[in-house]
Amino acid sequence: MPGAEPGPGPARHVAVTGLGAVSPLGWGLDSLWDGLRSGGTAIGPFDRFDHSGHRTHIAAQVDLAAQPGRLRGKRLSLADRFAVAAAREAVARAAIDVGRCAGRTGVYFGTSTGGMLETETYFKTLLSAGGDRGKLPALSPLASQQSNGPGDAVARDLGVGGPVQTISTACASGAMAVGDAILAIRRGEVDVAITGGSDSLCRLTYAGFNALRAVDERPCRPFRGNRAGLSLGEGAAALVLEPLERALARGARPLALAAGGAASCDAHHMTSPQPEGLGAAEAIRGALADAQLDPSEIDFVNAHGTGTPLNDAAECAALVAVFGDRARELPVTSTKSLVGHLLGSAGALEAVATILCLRHGEVHPMPDDGASDPGILLRLVLGRPLRLARARHALSTSLAFGGANAALAFTRHGDQDPGR
Amino acid sequence: MPRWRSRATEIRTLDAEAVITGLGTIGPCGHGREAVAAALAAGRPVAAAVDRVAGLHREGGARLAALVGERDLSRWLPPADARRMSFPSKLVVAAVRMALADAGLAVTEAQGPRTGVYLSTTFGTSLFTERLLKQILLEGAEAAQPFYFSESVANAPAAQLALAVGARGPNVTLTQRESGPLLAVARAAQAVRERRVDRAFAGTFEEITPLVHALLDRFGALARPDGARAEMPRPFDRRRDGFLAGEGATLLVLEREDAARARGARALARVGWSGAAFDATAGVSDWGDGQAPLAAALRAGLDLVPDGAAGVAAIVSGASGARRGDRLEARVLRDAWGEVPLPPVLVPKAVVGEYGGGLLAAGLLALQGSPFGPTPGFTEPDPELGVAPHAGGTLAIPARVLLTGLASGGAAGWLVLEQAS
Repeated sequence: MPGAEPGPGPARHVAVTGLGAVSPLGWGLDSLWDGLRSGGTAIGPFDRFDHSGHRTHIAAQVDLAAQPGRLRGKRLSLADRFAVAAAREAVARAAIDVGRCAGRTGVYFGTSTGGMLETETYFKTLLSAGGDRGKLPALSPLASQQSNGPGDAVARDLGVGGPVQTISTACASGAMAVGDAILAIRRGEVDVAITGGSDSLCRLTYAGFNALRAVDERPCRPFRGNRAGLSLGEGAAALVLEPLERALARGARPLALAAGGAASCDAHHMTSPQPEGLGAAEAIRGALADAQLDPSEIDFVNAHGTGTPLNDAAECAALVAVFGDRARELPVTSTKSLVGHLLGSAGALEAVATILCLRHGEVHPMPDDGASDPGILLRLVLGRPLRLARARHALSTSLAFGGANAALAFTRHGDQDPGR
Repeated sequence: MPRWRSRATEIRTLDAEAVITGLGTIGPCGHGREAVAAALAAGRPVAAAVDRVAGLHREGGARLAALVGERDLSRWLPPADARRMSFPSKLVVAAVRMALADAGLAVTEAQGPRTGVYLSTTFGTSLFTERLLKQILLEGAEAAQPFYFSESVANAPAAQLALAVGARGPNVTLTQRESGPLLAVARAAQAVRERRVDRAFAGTFEEITPLVHALLDRFGALARPDGARAEMPRPFDRRRDGFLAGEGATLLVLEREDAARARGARALARVGWSGAAFDATAGVSDWGDGQAPLAAALRAGLDLVPDGAAGVAAIVSGASGARRGDRLEARVLRDAWGEVPLPPVLVPKAVVGEYGGGLLAAGLLALQGSPFGPTPGFTEPDPELGVAPHAGGTLAIPARVLLTGLASGGAAGWLVLEQAS
């Protein structure tokens, strides 16, 4: 790491210097970007668990056999393993030696269910043991069942000594974790923040969303007229954040700036979004204000875009409320159409996708599948990547169960306003 | 432009301070701060027998937990509202209404986008999650009830809180085990100081079901009976063998100090320094031996406190009776204080069980000079630890207390509460 490192202190700009991903499109960032550009969905038949009793039979699962290398630690849940793999990649790409700054490195991770898949397996064995308690299953699969598992596993694997914080606010967890990491860098609490999210497919969420009749029998079609629900997915994403000055001083190449973030709550309904998107709009406006950006400066949006009729309508209303007539021209995509809904990891993976789009100057497409919805007044990117004449600032949104919303703004490095 | 005070694990702007103006708590001691104060003064664990009918527990294992006994919440939560909630959601909504009343705030004053919610939990909504899993695994996938699902997510109680009081600001649920409650309060205080919200509700909730209790016991985490020796937590004692699982909900109201003063509110405490660190030597579900980075982080934080370590008049320790957890806590405290004598070490989890809400309430009570009885279970000092908890008796009203939370798995959190001006 060449160059003198500036002393710790509040940071004006937060640089993203490393990215990592494990997704249904493959292990690693290159697989993710290639898959996103292709516009072909990874949602399809899956075998992570028996789903024969369900109404729907598709999801987007990570190919475990394709995992490069092995991760030690048999007590790691699948979500932990995804998290560690993504974090290792992000740290390697950032060329950070965590051991040299362990006490000044923090981990900020999001998850929805953590090691629930392993908990279910244990629970099933427990229930089948009936009255014969002498045959209770071994406890080891439960060791990492709690939702602090993925973040702790990352910290343990990398030897982190600074703050470790796990957020479990359903589908906004990943975005909120990234937002907290931005604040931690800005405040000077840490010099390096490893942030992201991880979740694995599990029976509980698959059954739960099916019980809500929120799962589409076909791959989800966000914002399309015949959309009929979401598709579940799994995976992890990680970002390395540093003060821009520190990153430049050590010779790192910033991939983007994490310009700002904000969160809000609908306080409207446990499972349905506020129909006018008031809470989501509040989060978007907050993120723009935090990033000191005007709505007119945003060049594209990576939307939450689950594919459920109510969510997409509310999100569209929020975008129209913030961007006005410009919403019709503003390119909008949904990563979930390609990898499914990664729940607590979704906001983090979509942040990674947003940054990749910014860097490549193009917005990844959604499958061109389904009819248009006259009520969706957005410029959807369908079928093939959209080359942007201007790719300076982008927005990523996350809308969660319980009405929790989060929005993140990213800026291409070099396009930040030095006066801000 | 804000002025910046310090570095280490937290840097605080000086243009605003965050104060706690309300406390609502429902737990094993009963309802309200008076119930917690009475239990702490008595110095006896508030333990009750756990239902073992399902046969999940091991022979000779733990039988007790600090459970919520007074389950009638109708004073704070109309039954018509309660029927749409899990037990933790009910506790949280009742506790926040109690906290609002304590702060002298009407519910209407908490409404809007400038009110944030920051909760923590370790086990989430345990009972509904278990019921949902049973439906899925025993009755078939399509038997899953949507209601159980929506209340099974960790952030359901925070969302119910937002619905109940119309809090439309950030709504965050942290899951960082024993350090979570302190992180939640610290995060809320930062949001208030930085004017990202005008007020915040911060706190924690837990629910201990027979299954959770049985699994904790099978992990060897709980205190258990041993012949003539009673089943009880013994923080810092040589014979300690585990903690007493606890449940409940504790919610605090945080505001900017100038705003609280302007409306004539009484401040229970000002939130001072907060910090966090991680011990990478810890196992997935245990405490490690890596006190050095934790002590370094705590020491750096204490350097920011007026008069340093000597300025902390009492430690409200998160020690619980866990064999390795208490050892790590003792080592970190001793290393951080160095040559400076440790102040009185209060150990509320010996009374209220392993439940962070009790720790938060005890921290505020300590700052108000509420008496603490002798630490139950402590009769044989552990020479390896070198820390003796408070032996009972009245303490001078402290200017400042430190709350500690070392989590199994490696995370650590600290929070300083001080007298508000």
